[in-house]
Amino acid sequence: MFQETAENQKNKVVNKVVVRNPMGLHTRPATSIVKLLQHCKSDVYFTYKKETVNAKSILSILMLAVKQNSRITITVEGEDAPVTMEKLIQAFQKEFGD
Amino acid sequence: MAYDAQEFCLRGTPICRGIAVGRLYFFDRKEGVVPDITLSPHDVEKDVIRFREALNNSKRDIKHLQSQLESEGALEAVVILDSQLIMLEDPLLTTNIEVTIRETKKNAESVFRAAIRKYQEKFDAISDPFFRDRFKDIQDISRRVMEYLNKGARVSLHDIPPGSIVFAPDFTPSEMAETKSIAVGAIVTEVGGTTSHTGIVAIAKGIPYVANVSFELIDFSQEYVVIVDGRKGEIILNPTVKTIEKYERLKIHLQSQMKGLERLCTLSAETIDGYQVRLSANIEMSHQIDLVHRYGGHGVGLFRSEYIFFPKNVIPSEEEQYRIYKRIVDRMKGRSLVIRVFDLGGDKAVPGYSMLKEGNPFLGCRAIRFLLREKEILKTQLRAVIRAGIGAPVSVLFPMVSTMTEFLEVKKIVRDTEEEFGISPKKGIRIGCMIEVPSAAIIADHLAKECDFLSIGTNDLVQYSLAIDRGNQYMASRYDPTNPSILRLIKLITSEGDQGQIPVTLCGEIAADPRFTMLLLGLGVQELSVAPRYIPIIKHAIRNTSILEAVDLAERALCSATSQEVMDLISGAYKRNVPEDYLYNC
Repeated sequence: MFQETAENQKNKVVNKVVVRNPMGLHTRPATSIVKLLQHCKSDVYFTYKKETVNAKSILSILMLAVKQNSRITITVEGEDAPVTMEKLIQAFQKEFGD
Repeated sequence: MAYDAQEFCLRGTPICRGIAVGRLYFFDRKEGVVPDITLSPHDVEKDVIRFREALNNSKRDIKHLQSQLESEGALEAVVILDSQLIMLEDPLLTTNIEVTIRETKKNAESVFRAAIRKYQEKFDAISDPFFRDRFKDIQDISRRVMEYLNKGARVSLHDIPPGSIVFAPDFTPSEMAETKSIAVGAIVTEVGGTTSHTGIVAIAKGIPYVANVSFELIDFSQEYVVIVDGRKGEIILNPTVKTIEKYERLKIHLQSQMKGLERLCTLSAETIDGYQVRLSANIEMSHQIDLVHRYGGHGVGLFRSEYIFFPKNVIPSEEEQYRIYKRIVDRMKGRSLVIRVFDLGGDKAVPGYSMLKEGNPFLGCRAIRFLLREKEILKTQLRAVIRAGIGAPVSVLFPMVSTMTEFLEVKKIVRDTEEEFGISPKKGIRIGCMIEVPSAAIIADHLAKECDFLSIGTNDLVQYSLAIDRGNQYMASRYDPTNPSILRLIKLITSEGDQGQIPVTLCGEIAADPRFTMLLLGLGVQELSVAPRYIPIIKHAIRNTSILEAVDLAERALCSATSQEVMDLISGAYKRNVPEDYLYNC
């Protein structure tokens, strides 16, 4: 048990990104995020205005109502954390093809 | 929402004044009720599977729709549906629902519906309208899933999202009674009228309500923002931002006006020249008595006892009725209470009784006629009322009396019942006679000799005098309580009451319309009985009237030839006396 927790903590990555999409994190980018995370094994969380939600839930992302130029914190926890974070940051930079 | 859609306006009969702005919600009871069931342990897993199947079926449908759209080149729509597919896999709508079904042991549709409602509330709380509108997709998929879960599903009143403007072909009084004013912004129906029982309940609750509106121009598959102006009977669809702002301002103004009026509660209901008016309340439920006390009402002028059926839809036993009435009597704290015996038939069905097949129920077996047919129901009620009323200022009132014979018959039943309890006629309960049929008005002199007070029910009196069905959408515009014939009947009744030295109360909807206050006082009505929430506004009207002016106004009204002349006369007088009222001066 203890070992596992320690393992997980080693694989926790936290990063901040700025949402560039003109309409913020609306349905289409939220869909892209969830699709991108569909096969990743880690837990992924977005934190915005002190609220933390599951990034694999499109409803939760939408309910955050993140506007353009807002900064959100991404937390990835699990075995493929670094790769997942890398993919997410790239997607945010490309504005999800929006 | 169609942002580019044109603003347009529909008109109907204004029933309950007030302003509301909200989203259109079409309430169609043909769709069936969403059941709320507690599952037996071995049914829980079955329901989880049923829920998964509903999700899978919905996904299959969407994929099918996608391939169809793709072949048509509507790629934009394909992408949107992609999001809906992702939503159908959202843990909040999949694993979370399954967990809740297992935990609460409730059926899938009720759990799913509750979850959707919760998310709707969250979306509604988002300040950015763009994100708030994203809920539309969730609504769309939830409809799809619900269809699979609950074939022939019907929306219940509880599903109505808070603040909605509810459009329905019709609304029954019990549905209206169930409606929570916080949940419903306003109500718009195709049929109905001011004094239909549905209208009465709406007025009592202060829910803006417009009836007799044609739905022809509305496409219910679209979403609309709607403004309801219950003062004028106007429905504005797709209002511009400017229009919305205007009405929001008006709404705030009306709210502060009502707050200001509440300050009158400790002052007495007397005219400028010191004439005391009794101002009582019409109530349906015991908790409304608190409002009567709060607003400084003299008592209850009309307790519509048939509303005690609504919770269970059965006629309660004598003991149960006794307890209900006793609770009300106690809550009155020594103030007078008039209990009207069950007013059933017409548009109010009798629980447990198959209604007679009547071609014209309003001219048929209703109210006192029904009770004289089903004497046991009447006797049971009278026993409970008499017991509860011992030692308290309680009266019993008989609705829809049309002949002397009828009245004498019910009066005898009251006295016989009292004899069973050893109460002498001299110490008997006060008996009132409602005057709501023209024949009763015409023989008011005879009735006045046999009863302790008269109570004018103008809602029915207008309907029966003018031969206008108050619920008939084609006739609604002709339902005129200002018709001089009605005023003459009221005058006749008050004069006969005077002669017989008994008080005359008026408890119809016009009593709660401050534009009528001066006229009614001038016609000699000594007591007005209104839904509790109207006590402040009517008190304000009384306090701004002089009785001499009122008598003069009534004389002129009695000489008028048309309803319009009378309406102009009374609204002109009200505007002069109470110019600050935005609710009625418009």
